[in-house]
Amino acid sequence: MPGAAPLAKRKARRRRSFNFDTPLRRAMLQALAVLLFFALWEIGVRMGWISAFLVGSPAGIFSFAAKMIASGELLSDTWYTLFEAILGFVIGTIFGSLLGLALWYSVFVARLVEPFIVAINSVPKIALAPIVVLWFGTGLVSKVALSVSLTAIVALIAAYQAAKDADVDLQSLLISMGADKHQVFFKAVVPSTLPSIIATFRINIGFGLVGAVVGEFISSQRGLGHLIYTASSLYDLDTVWVGLFTLMITGFVLYYVIDIIERTLLPWKQSNTAHQVQV
Amino acid sequence: MQPAPTQLSVRNVRKSFAGKTGEVRVLDDLSFVIKERDFVSIIGPSGCGKTTIFNIIAGLLEPDSGSLHYRGEEIESLRGRVGYMMQKDLLFPWRTVLGNVLLGLETRGVDRVEAEGKAREYLKDFGLAGFENAYPKTLSGGMRQRVALIRTLIMDPDILLLDEPFSALDYQTRLYLEGVLKDAVETYHKTVILVTHDIDEAVALSKRVVVLSGRPARVKIVHDIEIDTPSPIAARSDARFSGYFHALCAELDIQTEKTA
Repeated sequence: MPGAAPLAKRKARRRRSFNFDTPLRRAMLQALAVLLFFALWEIGVRMGWISAFLVGSPAGIFSFAAKMIASGELLSDTWYTLFEAILGFVIGTIFGSLLGLALWYSVFVARLVEPFIVAINSVPKIALAPIVVLWFGTGLVSKVALSVSLTAIVALIAAYQAAKDADVDLQSLLISMGADKHQVFFKAVVPSTLPSIIATFRINIGFGLVGAVVGEFISSQRGLGHLIYTASSLYDLDTVWVGLFTLMITGFVLYYVIDIIERTLLPWKQSNTAHQVQV
Repeated sequence: MQPAPTQLSVRNVRKSFAGKTGEVRVLDDLSFVIKERDFVSIIGPSGCGKTTIFNIIAGLLEPDSGSLHYRGEEIESLRGRVGYMMQKDLLFPWRTVLGNVLLGLETRGVDRVEAEGKAREYLKDFGLAGFENAYPKTLSGGMRQRVALIRTLIMDPDILLLDEPFSALDYQTRLYLEGVLKDAVETYHKTVILVTHDIDEAVALSKRVVVLSGRPARVKIVHDIEIDTPSPIAARSDARFSGYFHALCAELDIQTEKTA
């Protein structure tokens, strides 16, 4: 067989190559990348290649972070922003999803309101921030309201689309069994929209943070947005970075919390057989 | 043996759908009769409207004209009283095997404990004990279709409507499930209407075969199948099997299609 020899050689070579794709080695590579990034940054600043005034420096960031953690200031700002974001996320997602699902009930109403939904969706919600602050004041409510306005529309559109796409055959089967519209809704439509609705959680938890932070930019006394905004107006870049990295870590943790929620709510979606095709 | 009384009669049913180029007449004055404890296969060219008939009987579609009569009484449809099984198993992916079997009893509002006991019994009878809490995606195609069959039978429907239920399965699984179906129909005394592309399957399972013409569908001829064997596999080795098979092939103009 002419093709056999090269194939065997290729196999042998593949076996010899070092496998980086294990969880521990991946984590080490990732940590290495982060360390390298901060090291280059610090070296750049010390060598005078980049201006510490404009970009800050890792050493400065860490010392500020340590101080702010010690004083409890960072933690309290984080909690405050997190609370606003989660409250906005929960209210917006529930409200939007329920409304989107409810549109399944009447094709007429759904068609009637569709252009309005598209219109509302096409307004950049951030542009509402000044009005929201006028309406709801400079406290917690305005930030939550902004988060709700961002998350609700995403959830609404996703839930409505998923309800429209719910498998017609499953619905027909239920009808042939004698099910009424409510039963079709609760037994076929709602469960089949859950994966789409939960998929919006990932996007919406980010939007929840956006709403909270932008609200704090406009006017506030507390929170990570407040911290970033006031520090940047004082050209205190190290503190700005502390706020930004804290936001990043917060969003990161929230993403994985959503992951756990998804696994818990959709046990039937989980599989241990699905592997990516090797190319 | 006296002839069985009529259970369901379909009379002069017409149905058209709006197509791109105007009305498409799918069923044209279609009539046929299903007797008590009958096993009727409906065969016909692809797209001749076999599924449309089922949808009308099951109450998912309304005919343009014509009527349905059940045990002598005119009815709108058999919605809620039929067991509809399709080519896709249509198991609800978010429900476990047990949950899927319970679906129909739940919509009927049967007491949960009673329904669950019944469901477990059926699962045991069909060799699916131990799979109650498995999700459908973890099962093989044959097992999934068996769950769908149980879900259909547990409702104790007046008539089973089987729309090519085994056509997506491999031949061996199909033979096996044909046997399971035949046994179940005997055990639970069910009337069956089976739509199939498979002439072989129609002859092996049915008491009668209705041959439809191409669209718009009319009944071309009804063949009585007088093979009385305990299993569909045994039916295939019956002396008369190939005679019926070729007669039905001829009715479907399969020869002419081949030379065309």
